[in-house]
Amino acid sequence: MMKEFNILLAGVGGQGVILMSELLGRAAIADGLRIRGSEILGMAVRGGSVTSIIRIGDDVHGPLVPQGKCHILMGLEPSEALRHASYLAESGLVILNTTPVIPFTVSLGQSDYPALSQVLEKLSAIAGGVIKLDASKAAVEAGSPLTTNIVMLGALFGVELLPIKTSTIKETIQARFSPGLAPINIRAFDLGYEAAGKD
Amino acid sequence: MKELTISSDAPGQKLFALGNEAIARGAIEAGVQVAAAYPGTPSSEIVGALAGVARELDMYVEWSTNEKVAFEVALGASICGVRAMSAMKHVGVNVAHDPLMTASHIGAKGGLVLVAADDPWAWSSQNEQDSRYVALQGYIPVLEPSSVQEAKDMVADAFALSEEFGQLFMLRSVTRISHGRGDIVLGELSRERRNGSFQKEPDRLAYVPRVARLNKPLMLERFRRIAEAADTLPYNRLEMRDKAGLGIIACGLSYSYTMEAVRWLGVEDEVSILKIGTPHPLPMKLILELLKSVREVLVVEELDPFVELHVKAVVGEHGIPVKVHGKDIVPAIGELSTRKVTEAIAGLTGKRFPVDFARLDRLEQEVAPLLPSRPPTLCPGCSHRASFRAINMAAQRVAKEYGEDVEPIYPGDIGCYTLALTPPQNAVDTCVCMGGSFGLANGMAHVMHAPIIAHLGDSTFFHSGIPPLINAVYNKANITMVVLDNSATAMTGFQPHPGTGQTATGDEAVSLKAEEVARACGVAFVEVADPRDLKAAAETIERAIRFPGPAVVVSRGPCAAIELREKRQAGEKIVPYYIDREKCNPKCDACIKLLGCPAIVKQQERKAIDAPLCTGCGLCAQVCPYKAIVEERSG
Repeated sequence: MMKEFNILLAGVGGQGVILMSELLGRAAIADGLRIRGSEILGMAVRGGSVTSIIRIGDDVHGPLVPQGKCHILMGLEPSEALRHASYLAESGLVILNTTPVIPFTVSLGQSDYPALSQVLEKLSAIAGGVIKLDASKAAVEAGSPLTTNIVMLGALFGVELLPIKTSTIKETIQARFSPGLAPINIRAFDLGYEAAGKD
Repeated sequence: MKELTISSDAPGQKLFALGNEAIARGAIEAGVQVAAAYPGTPSSEIVGALAGVARELDMYVEWSTNEKVAFEVALGASICGVRAMSAMKHVGVNVAHDPLMTASHIGAKGGLVLVAADDPWAWSSQNEQDSRYVALQGYIPVLEPSSVQEAKDMVADAFALSEEFGQLFMLRSVTRISHGRGDIVLGELSRERRNGSFQKEPDRLAYVPRVARLNKPLMLERFRRIAEAADTLPYNRLEMRDKAGLGIIACGLSYSYTMEAVRWLGVEDEVSILKIGTPHPLPMKLILELLKSVREVLVVEELDPFVELHVKAVVGEHGIPVKVHGKDIVPAIGELSTRKVTEAIAGLTGKRFPVDFARLDRLEQEVAPLLPSRPPTLCPGCSHRASFRAINMAAQRVAKEYGEDVEPIYPGDIGCYTLALTPPQNAVDTCVCMGGSFGLANGMAHVMHAPIIAHLGDSTFFHSGIPPLINAVYNKANITMVVLDNSATAMTGFQPHPGTGQTATGDEAVSLKAEEVARACGVAFVEVADPRDLKAAAETIERAIRFPGPAVVVSRGPCAAIELREKRQAGEKIVPYYIDREKCNPKCDACIKLLGCPAIVKQQERKAIDAPLCTGCGLCAQVCPYKAIVEERSG
């Protein structure tokens, strides 16, 4: 039985971070795993940073990933991955969507967005490994830009570290979406799964 | 397989639930029949979830106009012998404070539970006050869960406890419980549905001074009995270790951080832990047993030193030779975490940190300069953005006439529109409490020579905007009151309210209009503006500001999030705008600087509209001096 496995999902309001954690939670329960997590909703969401936490295992009590104990940091957006990099365990892995979401403060000239190379350099120095993919592009390929989160979910399973079975999460995705949308989402999942295996 | 929900009759099965859904489930298991709330993060999903299953489970569920009314609804039902609940955020408890203090004198006939959801770190709030002090003041017993599962179990038990002791109970949640997630094991569903019965008992129910004096000793006696029982309630648990020199008293969610910290440090056998699930009244026998067995005690709790003060009092009273730590080493500000608790325990046990926290702090400092600021912002297409542009235009025009240096004053309020605090709107000068914008404006009007434009949303108007509006009429405050009406309680999740024509459970309802209310209250200048017609809206607001005496403008435009969802569902095409590079002056930036719409981006001196984000509201086209922003034509 898994003792403790911590995943931090970092993205921007509207990217579907919460849906990812819902799917992970349901799949974990279906596989008989113990699961805890939390998220920030409300004021913090309107276009701001969004994080959701999923923790699996018998030794897990709290709703937050202890700083220095995150096994996988899912960055749905480069700067948001970097924002939470200090949560990583030394051997922790980053799975990164390389497409940025530029905040309006950059257009207003109030802040700068880092170059992807800078983000990757920092993340590589901090993390045990960085797997990068253009999930936003893959989502379009799958049939809808709204499936970026599902591509990332596929990538999370593609690294084959999770205690949840890939077949279980796919069944969960299948059940969550209408028959019309399920195939697009399964395609998105598969594209992410393959991309993570390749990088 | 049928998917599990919070209403499933499936004892023993596991559901992946949001903390607030777990709280709702607990109430369902207890057979709650009446639930009322005003939405407020992090509490909103409790009654939201109950509303969704009300019909199926034969419950009455409502969104009330404010927390005071919501609590009174629950109290009224409890007086009639029915199990009732009210849920609100911590600052909502302030609004309900008045009936709450007398409700504790009345006691409970039907089980009565108040869920108070505190927000450490004030993620979505104007402060991070600790609701346990309200309970202290009112002799209200408090249950505080350590996990999502326990939140469900406690609520399920709270109704029975409330009836057993004849007292109102409070469940203190926090953001990380309410918006925590976890697997919960479902319990049995109570199918009991009672008929309300009212017995005339003025000596218990009608609070004239004599009745207050009559009932206070009864309330104290009820509380004494609960205090006696606290040691035996399952939520309090003493885990003693023979050779422990350190004892930890961990309250509510702090217990989960403590468990992880103790294991992380490898001191499981060196510390005794008292888990507290009832911070008020505390299990004093268990506390004394722990205090007498150790040299040092650490109290771990979120926000204020509530348990700590009681523990220090009992140490003094009994003269126990034990040093009590708490907020001297555990922060009183913000949320706790496994790290914070680990650091506190490591300091007392002399253990090394399990990871190099200083290195993590250095990493954070290293990456900080690279990170763009990403504050929450009004959605693309939000009608408030248009309203604020109109307010800014009108107010600045008039302010000049008051004097060269005169700036308009914008008392703001609680809702999505609080986001107009930042540039480019800069239109929230104060934000204190629900309805506070109109209230503060009343005071400013009598001491300031400047245009005062107070604004609040439609739901906030019905919540607590009307009394200060009447006050402005009665006391002749020369202010402009703008109701930013997007027909939704948008920030908390689009709950219906008295202006939306719908109830919590989807029934048709009246649709009150703020302008009709304002007219009925005697406001002489009342007009409705469409903020998407920027020029006309600004002119209306300007006339309101110039009007001598209180004036109301209802600036009515749809919530973009709702409009977009409805258009998508209807298969309606969303036609975005684009910037014609031929016409656009690259040096201008008016669209960005005046509106700050996330759909307008600028990279390498080139402005463009992010088509997937654009809702086609056309506001930017109205502010562009070069007519360079146009609707995308089909084909």
